Amino acid sequence: MNKTILPLFALIFLTLSASAQQWVTRAGEVHFLSETPIEDIEATSKEASVILDLESGRVAVQVPILSFHFEKALMEEHFNENYMESGTYPKAKFSGTLRDFGDLPESGAVEVMVDGIFEVHGVSVDRPFNGTLEKQGDKVILNCRFDVRTEDHQIPIPSVVRDNIAEVIDVDIRAELSAR
Amino acid sequence: MSPSRVLLLLFALMPAMVGVAQDDDMMDFFDEVEEEARPVTAVFKSQRLINVHTCETPGKGEMNFVIAHRFGRISDGAYALWGLDNASMRMAFEYGINDRVMLSVGRSTFEKTYETGVKARLVEQMEGGTPFGITAYSVVMANGLRWADPERENYFSSRLSYAHQLIVTRKFDDDLSVLLVPSFVHRNLVDLPDRAHDVVTLGGGFRYKISNRTTINAEYHYFLPRPIPDEYHNSLSLGVDIETGGHVFQLHITNSRGMFERAFLTETYDRWQDGELYFGFNLNRVFQVGDRR
Repeated sequence: MNKTILPLFALIFLTLSASAQQWVTRAGEVHFLSETPIEDIEATSKEASVILDLESGRVAVQVPILSFHFEKALMEEHFNENYMESGTYPKAKFSGTLRDFGDLPESGAVEVMVDGIFEVHGVSVDRPFNGTLEKQGDKVILNCRFDVRTEDHQIPIPSVVRDNIAEVIDVDIRAELSAR
Repeated sequence: MSPSRVLLLLFALMPAMVGVAQDDDMMDFFDEVEEEARPVTAVFKSQRLINVHTCETPGKGEMNFVIAHRFGRISDGAYALWGLDNASMRMAFEYGINDRVMLSVGRSTFEKTYETGVKARLVEQMEGGTPFGITAYSVVMANGLRWADPERENYFSSRLSYAHQLIVTRKFDDDLSVLLVPSFVHRNLVDLPDRAHDVVTLGGGFRYKISNRTTINAEYHYFLPRPIPDEYHNSLSLGVDIETGGHVFQLHITNSRGMFERAFLTETYDRWQDGELYFGFNLNRVFQVGDRR
């Protein structure tokens, strides 16, 4: 009996420690910038939810569209009403898996690649993202920069504001994850 | 199979089961969030539905510049180019001192009227919370015409009139927003001795979005106390809003010539059934003049 029980405990222990590999935040920062010669439009959300499972390599992110704040109230209204239609599509979402990922070193940032489904404005795109992960004390810091083509997510930009809004939006994400 | 073997098998399968459960666990993380209650935004496209104020106020530090016109009666016919010969105008500045309170000043060519008002969103409709919003608007209007009889003793207070409104609004979905507006208007001086100094009107209106940037609008104000003098009528207006970037264009047809509360609520002399209608527009241009934070 003893011989069977020992590996059982080992298994239970392993599964338990695996669940301790989840890292989360509900206050990730997402910033984006639309840069044109006429004007730069930018907005920040500090309400991104991020979960990273270092055991399975899975990552998921969700950001409420209404949590993006702009320098001008009118921009915010137009962003939600006319472009993102946040009443119908309240969140931007990502769910994916880290590519060839091993253990996270105790110090120093590591480059990571993630493949997954990125959903904005109700339109999902399967695409890779580049980012870095870094262990800092009891936190894991996630950084990621990427471009979003408004066209890819069927966000039409009327010709009158074509010169004011970039076709490609720069997005960066920074999140400090704590063990769940 | 001995019980210990069954146990062993179960435990051997456990990591796989836990693995599956963990994926669900992971997405559960997003369901646990208690969504912060947010006010419902963009209930209307503009500070005014057509003539009447909506719940909208400029954002903090925003200045909304309004230029509005009402042309002459369409029933004046081809000679006056269906009213286009006679434009009456209103200019106003509306400033958001914070995201809920607005101060405004305005001037209409109609009776050379100056006005200054304050609008405050008292209760905001919330996502998944409070089902409607309540906004208060108060305005003082001063008639700027020369005294009809400069010889007699005239008082400045005779020029003044006041309007107080409660604007109850609800955005039913992305497209349909409705408002109910009880208004109280007090005129210090009335044109004839038998006219009421205090008038109450009950107003209602809606906007319906036909595209992201276009809405159709209607508003109606029912005059109290009844009976009202024959020459007074209820105000009915129909319109369209077109939004382009920092502008909102509002085009409408109304039987009220004046664009401030005393005029369109209590001094509407024309009737739809007689074709005594005014074509007009409001043009709203927004500037960010102050800091938003």
